Amino acid sequence: MTERDPGVASNVDRPPTASSPGGKRSFEERSLAIPFRAKVAAVWIFIFLLLGTLFAFASFDQDWMKENVAFIVRGLWVTVVIAAVSIVCAVILAGLGAIGRLSRNPIAFGISGFYTSFFRGTPLIVQMFLIYLALPQLATGLHLPSGLRDLMILGPAEAGIIALSLNYGAYMTEIFRAGIESVSHSQREAAEALGMTYAKVMRRVVLPQATRVIIPPIGNEFIAMMKDTALVSFLGASFAFMEIFRRAQLLGKADFRNLEALVLVAGMYWALTALFTVFQGRLEHRMSKGYVRTVKFVSGAPGDGIGGGALMHVMPAEGQPQIPEIPSGGDH
Amino acid sequence: MKKNFRLVLAALMVVALFVVAACSSTEETPAPGAAPTGAEPAGDDLLAKIKADGVIRVSTDPAYPPQSELDPKTGEYVGFDIDVANEIAKRMGVTVEWETPSWDTITAGSWNDRWDMSVGSMTVTPERDEVLQFSTPYYYTPAVVLVHADNTDITGVATQLDGKRIGVCGACTYDFYLQQTLEIPGETIEFQIDDADIKTYDTDSTAVQDLSLGDGDRLDAVITSITVGEGAADKGKPVKIVGEPVFYEPLAVAIDRSSTLDGASLTAEVSRIVDEMRSDGTLTALSDQWFGQDLTTKVES
Repeated sequence: MTERDPGVASNVDRPPTASSPGGKRSFEERSLAIPFRAKVAAVWIFIFLLLGTLFAFASFDQDWMKENVAFIVRGLWVTVVIAAVSIVCAVILAGLGAIGRLSRNPIAFGISGFYTSFFRGTPLIVQMFLIYLALPQLATGLHLPSGLRDLMILGPAEAGIIALSLNYGAYMTEIFRAGIESVSHSQREAAEALGMTYAKVMRRVVLPQATRVIIPPIGNEFIAMMKDTALVSFLGASFAFMEIFRRAQLLGKADFRNLEALVLVAGMYWALTALFTVFQGRLEHRMSKGYVRTVKFVSGAPGDGIGGGALMHVMPAEGQPQIPEIPSGGDH
Repeated sequence: MKKNFRLVLAALMVVALFVVAACSSTEETPAPGAAPTGAEPAGDDLLAKIKADGVIRVSTDPAYPPQSELDPKTGEYVGFDIDVANEIAKRMGVTVEWETPSWDTITAGSWNDRWDMSVGSMTVTPERDEVLQFSTPYYYTPAVVLVHADNTDITGVATQLDGKRIGVCGACTYDFYLQQTLEIPGETIEFQIDDADIKTYDTDSTAVQDLSLGDGDRLDAVITSITVGEGAADKGKPVKIVGEPVFYEPLAVAIDRSSTLDGASLTAEVSRIVDEMRSDGTLTALSDQWFGQDLTTKVES
């Protein structure tokens, strides 16, 4: 962001002597000398100090927190696994859902329409309970063979993962659809003119460009999902597979230290998302490589060895806004 | 070609659900000593199946000390209920495998064979008796009124609590007591509190937390069992028990009526073991250990 500084300075057409009486630099000038990032860091530090002071006044039982933080931390991997498995399943579902939404086949369109409508229209916690409680009852009512019935009697974590996948898959269906639609029609027409099949047009031309558009919102959904894994705890949990919120709840309630336990998990969720935001920033940076103009355009080199070189020529590069670099400070 | 592709897509949509199922089944944790679901149950008797498996699956709500809580150091469940369940299993010649569903899932019945019995200090009520079978009660707890330590207005139960904001666990016996609908077989209950402003919580300890914020800040009183009340005071919460217990509740082992296998023989066997544990002094010893008093015999109110 420091590259902004010379621009601002040059606007002020100032002779060296007339800028300020006494030869002292003005406040603005001195301020400009401090890097933008340093100022942001100062703001963060100030907020943290303020919170820390308030924290001390709230008289939390800090000994209890120190004693029990390790137990809660041991559930972090469960939180991450539930979120990661769910996001993978959700991406698969969203891909299928988006193809259905864009299809002219009435069955595919109807199913995907119903899917997004239902799973976006009902609360996630209700979906979790439905999958946890209703599936076994359905199996009993249908008199399914006991092997199949046992499969439908899901544990809390499995029911939670299915509900998270279906719910987020429904939201992401719309993201995928929008991403695919954002690729200009001329791209498709050009590909079709080359004789590509529908599948090939999708795979080679549309999806690679759509991916860049849908990656940031998927990262966003993943961050939201990491926190929604806490809802799984309302179904209960086996000891081996107990995520951080459940752990905090059990300890907090047992020792009447709910607040302390909640502060601890809040910190952990925050740390998790901050960490993920860094990776997300890097991924986005990588995905947008083709759109950031750092290298001089080499004219008259259609087969210059750069992957997707043909695409780059087709794109109206001058009309593309640059994807701003995401600061890695985790201030998303 | 194009048409075929679309048809395949439609099929894929249907398959999508199964994809998720597959995704999640890879997630099934290899829990130590997972229930051998593949084993053929012996006939249609639940007790026979448990003995054949050598494992009984017991549900507990580990947010309820000193009956059941999680020891963060060892990762084991500890408490009065835990010890009672282990002892029952030992006398059956089987080992316990714990399940920790939420409390209202346990009391609602229809466990779908997820676990075999609940040793969770459950009060026997006629409504629950419709969906659950109960053993002989293994102990009796007095329900008491808890107020903030700073409170000096409320000294007894009779009239001083009318219209006050009282915190209880939702849909539990204390809630029903305030609604004046509580029925306990073999007990006569005198409803002494009228027009209470009932505030329901997920569990007793959350209500106690809210009470301890300050006298009258959110709640004027909490009704809970004497064990929870004393536990909270022992753990440094500024609360105190006032007046005489409002009622006594018998707490028993529960077994699902809607289980696939018949649970009648299991209920009978548990009742027999509970009687045996009461007469040989095991229950009293456990009660003394966890509550510092003997709650295992019925108190005439």
